[in-house]
Amino acid sequence: MRRFVISLVAAIAVVLAVGGAVVAGSGGGSSITRARLERSLPATFSNLYAQRATLLGHGGITPESLHASAMCDKGGAVEPDVGAGSNWNCLVSWTDPTNPMPPEGYGKLELQVHSNGCYTASAPSKLVGFATLTDTKGREVTNPVAEFDGCFDPNGDNTPTGVELPSLLSVTTTALRPDSTGHVAIQVTCGTGAGGCQGTVTATAGDADLGTVPVTVHEEQTETFSFPTAVPHRAPEVTFTFHLTTGVGPTKPVTLEMPPG
Amino acid sequence: MTKTAAVGAAVDVVGVTKMYGPLVAVDDVSVRVAPGEVYGILGPNGAGKTTLLRMLFGLIRPDGGEIRVFGRTWDEAGVHTLDDVAGFIESPKFYPYLTGRQNLEGLALLDGSGLPERIDEVLEVVDLTGRDGDKVGGYSYGMRQRLGVAASLLRSPGLLVLDEPANGLDPAGIRDMRALVKRLAASGLTVLLSSHHMDEVEEICDNVTIMNRGTVAFHGTIDDLRAMAPDPGHVLRTGDDTQAMSIGRTRHPAVGVEHAPEGGLVATGSERDLAAYVADLVRAEVPLLAFTPTRTPLDALFFMLTDARPDDVHLPREKQVVR
Amino acid sequence: MTTATLAPAARTDVRRREASLGDAIRWETRKLRAQLRSKALLIGSLVAPIAVVVVVGAQSRPPKDSLFGRFSTVNGFAMALLVLGFASQWILPLVTAVVAGDIFASEDQHGTWKTVLTRSVSRSRLFWAKVVVAIVFGLLALVLLAAATIGASLLIVGHGPLIGLSGQVIQPSTALPLVAASWATMAPPLVAFTCLALLFSVWSRNAAVGIAAPVVIAMVMQLVGSLGGVEAIRPYLLTTPFEAWHGLLAEPRFTGPILDGAATSAVWAAVSLLAAFLVVRHRDITGG
Repeated sequence: MRRFVISLVAAIAVVLAVGGAVVAGSGGGSSITRARLERSLPATFSNLYAQRATLLGHGGITPESLHASAMCDKGGAVEPDVGAGSNWNCLVSWTDPTNPMPPEGYGKLELQVHSNGCYTASAPSKLVGFATLTDTKGREVTNPVAEFDGCFDPNGDNTPTGVELPSLLSVTTTALRPDSTGHVAIQVTCGTGAGGCQGTVTATAGDADLGTVPVTVHEEQTETFSFPTAVPHRAPEVTFTFHLTTGVGPTKPVTLEMPPG
Repeated sequence: MTKTAAVGAAVDVVGVTKMYGPLVAVDDVSVRVAPGEVYGILGPNGAGKTTLLRMLFGLIRPDGGEIRVFGRTWDEAGVHTLDDVAGFIESPKFYPYLTGRQNLEGLALLDGSGLPERIDEVLEVVDLTGRDGDKVGGYSYGMRQRLGVAASLLRSPGLLVLDEPANGLDPAGIRDMRALVKRLAASGLTVLLSSHHMDEVEEICDNVTIMNRGTVAFHGTIDDLRAMAPDPGHVLRTGDDTQAMSIGRTRHPAVGVEHAPEGGLVATGSERDLAAYVADLVRAEVPLLAFTPTRTPLDALFFMLTDARPDDVHLPREKQVVR
Repeated sequence: MTTATLAPAARTDVRRREASLGDAIRWETRKLRAQLRSKALLIGSLVAPIAVVVVVGAQSRPPKDSLFGRFSTVNGFAMALLVLGFASQWILPLVTAVVAGDIFASEDQHGTWKTVLTRSVSRSRLFWAKVVVAIVFGLLALVLLAAATIGASLLIVGHGPLIGLSGQVIQPSTALPLVAASWATMAPPLVAFTCLALLFSVWSRNAAVGIAAPVVIAMVMQLVGSLGGVEAIRPYLLTTPFEAWHGLLAEPRFTGPILDGAATSAVWAAVSLLAAFLVVRHRDITGG
């Protein structure tokens, strides 16, 4: 029994010591990188998307015709884009004549990336459908692209791909709550993308201009902007219009109702 | 060959020392066994006998000195040192999930000679014919001991090394084992035997080394040993110890009479003096209940040479049955 | 007792043939064949995968958490690879350690070191015989596991085209050799774990340690290898080669991890064997 404990402790100590030395010596270098994901994910996605198209009977779609590309990010602007984790997001853009893209031109896939270079990705259902689909013969089959696994070469090409896709700014406020002086504020979130979101937002209530304020939101951050002019009494709603120089905002003005009274 | 090694000796141990940490298990021991003789190494438990034999077999390495077996050393000849040797250390061990025959077949493979036809022969010698198909796990202690001898004989050795061959056997087993060793010795085999039974060594061996605490306490022939033996002691049980003692003290100064710790008296002296003393007791009408030897003279010598207490060695009871 | 005695041989410089490596291997093989444990393990290697395939294949929800789990209930190749991923976690180290972890320690358990070392076989020859037998046994168990898994998967679940790890469709004619090759890439780390078990068997003199320690080490390595932040240690872990087969199922195929894994396994195996050899060589056999 004594030997057993010694064996185990010694073995674990050796493993940890060697491991610690290696990690310290290499600076924690990981083979899981943004560039490798950005090369692997579009290829895997394209293959599976083409299979989905075949199941649905959409002709003329091949992995090549999709021209898919991806931009990946781990944990927003605050975290380096390297290493395993479940907080990887990849923006994938592709071209499918039968399935138009949203204004921002891409879909966001959430990835769980393992330390062995394999990942599980889930694609947005509004772009690729749900977990099962009905094929041309009327059968209920697994949607190959809704959730899928892939692996990349841990020694593969690691030069940056240069793919940059804009962040998507979205309004998260659902109901306006004016303060005691009648001023309103709006909360927005800037999604994954290159450079975050920058521009201006203008608020109007009927004919009244509530003012224009500059918008600067970093990637994967949420900010609140309040407007200098109070909302006129009995105005039923407020309309917000975004003009972004960086990132993609709502293309149509966003209108939110004022609370009654 | 070194200058100390005797040409033609079966075993030549010269100044061998083995330490276990601070403990000296074997301290500068030399033993020489001539071909054809039956040699005994005698000593109480822990005297270093087994350690010495393990070194002979190369199971442990000596820290100093040299061991030659038929002129070969482990450093020079490696496992060829054992070419003409066989035997066992402490109780022989086998694979319990194999039958006796399978064990022997396997050991024959490891002998490099693979002599399966000898297996029947050696099984017959140790009287295990008919039991060779049973798993060794079901063997009695004595059967395993005999299988150990069979495994040794399988190598047709010139030298048979047996470490406490009678250890743990019942009286009948001891008798059979001694008879077997005697027969093997008579067939011309050199036998090196370790024991803590003085009577075993006395019965079988020509020469003896008595070891105590890792060192040699006596070296010589059995006859030399007998010459050194003290007068035998006898346990005396009488109806009147006080009178018996006073008769001894006053009329027989050559006889020592003491109170025995376990009750009764112990008388020591030459046989002639003791006879006169007992005759006097009878004449004085001291009721005489028992007069038995405590131990043989050689036993007494053994206890003198080694600081073993008689209880360390389970001699007396077994001996009386065997004799 | 009978009165039979042996005729004394003429004793002039007897020179005996030392037992060859082949003799020692035959002896070790015989002992292994007589042991219930080794036979049970081989039969288990053949039967257990079939049971696993039947049970997993009957699930209404496929085990999506594991690689190839997603299609395992509808595709035999995916099933065979799912079982492979599962087996490599700790079952393969266990399977090989059952024999390797015991093969030296059992001599201590039965007190038979002195029995065999007082014959005409050197310690090093006995050592290598045990190493060879343990490694061959481990590989045999792997072959049985692989054959049973692949056979059962294809027969029970089916053999349609497989979706690979780059989303590509792999036709059955290509998938079968790739799946078999994936199982074959288990051999280097399996041999290395065998050597590790041999070392523990030698060093601990206790079969329980010899069997359990490699399994525990495999689990610890698996855990450490899956942690984020310490990925740099992965190339040195003995469990990483168990995942090298992923590259065979990707498009384009990559074999770098298989070669790296073989090198890692070789180093682990060599170091373990060297340490075990030195211990056996210099040990005082005092017990038994």
